[in-house]
Amino acid sequence: MSDALAIPDLERELTLTDLVVYAGATWDWHRMHYDTDFARAKGMAAPVVDGQMLAALVAAQVESALGPQWRLSTLAFRFRNLVVAGSSIRSHVEVTRADDDVVEVVAEVHSTPPGGTEQVAMAPVTATLVRHR
Amino acid sequence: MSLLTDDIRALIGSTRTYTAPEPLGAAAIRYFATAIGDDNPLRSDVRFARDHGYADVVAPPTLLCETNQYAALPRDEEGYAGHTWGVAVPGTRTVRGGNSYTFHRAVHPGDVVTATWRLDDVTERRTGTGAAMLVLTSRADYTNGDGELLASNEETTIFVEIAPGGGS
Repeated sequence: MSDALAIPDLERELTLTDLVVYAGATWDWHRMHYDTDFARAKGMAAPVVDGQMLAALVAAQVESALGPQWRLSTLAFRFRNLVVAGSSIRSHVEVTRADDDVVEVVAEVHSTPPGGTEQVAMAPVTATLVRHR
Repeated sequence: MSLLTDDIRALIGSTRTYTAPEPLGAAAIRYFATAIGDDNPLRSDVRFARDHGYADVVAPPTLLCETNQYAALPRDEEGYAGHTWGVAVPGTRTVRGGNSYTFHRAVHPGDVVTATWRLDDVTERRTGTGAAMLVLTSRADYTNGDGELLASNEETTIFVEIAPGGGS
């Protein structure tokens, strides 16, 4: 893979419905993710996005960009700030290595809560993709 | 005061093994792909998957490390039905630190997952503002019914001391 490889930013809103769908898909029914009263009692403005959902979004972003011949081999990430329902998120990925059989990327996920200011949700994110044979 | 009690220290090295009561399933794969907006045909188009060298549709890679499907645990008082070490640290709030996943092979609907969790380490640290933290490092290895290693997951969970007034 010698051509310059650019992965488009992912931008989307994470609504409360999105959180419910993800909770169901992962069998993670922790009330923090959908129960507004519960979340507020814990000091949050709204139900909290499962941080691993952000990782799943980045995984889909990079695998979709490279195509079905590639698959994720590793993915590592650190959480920085909680993300609440109704936030907009933006995942920016930089390609740091692109060989015939291995691609390495680094990424950051930023979030903007409703009526709030942008902050880092997850960083650093590092991933390796390998060619599927 | 140390957050690392003898009871918690005694848990280091503990393991828990869960085997799913059923195969992962094509519907679970498509549900998770739908949940994250992953419209990759590998997730739901068997012919497309086989045309690209896979035996069957392929799960989004993080599904295996993020689902509690295999655990078959009852919900706790907060609604959670996944693996925990049962560690409770009074006066703290729980924060996820992060994860490091290694995906060894593609995951397919027919895989019956076994997840083996191990509590690798518990350490004490301080936040930048001086609050006490207890950092749990765990590892899960996921295999299928043929004993093939599907993925590994190193996970960090942090208990952060809540200062008087609610901050930390």
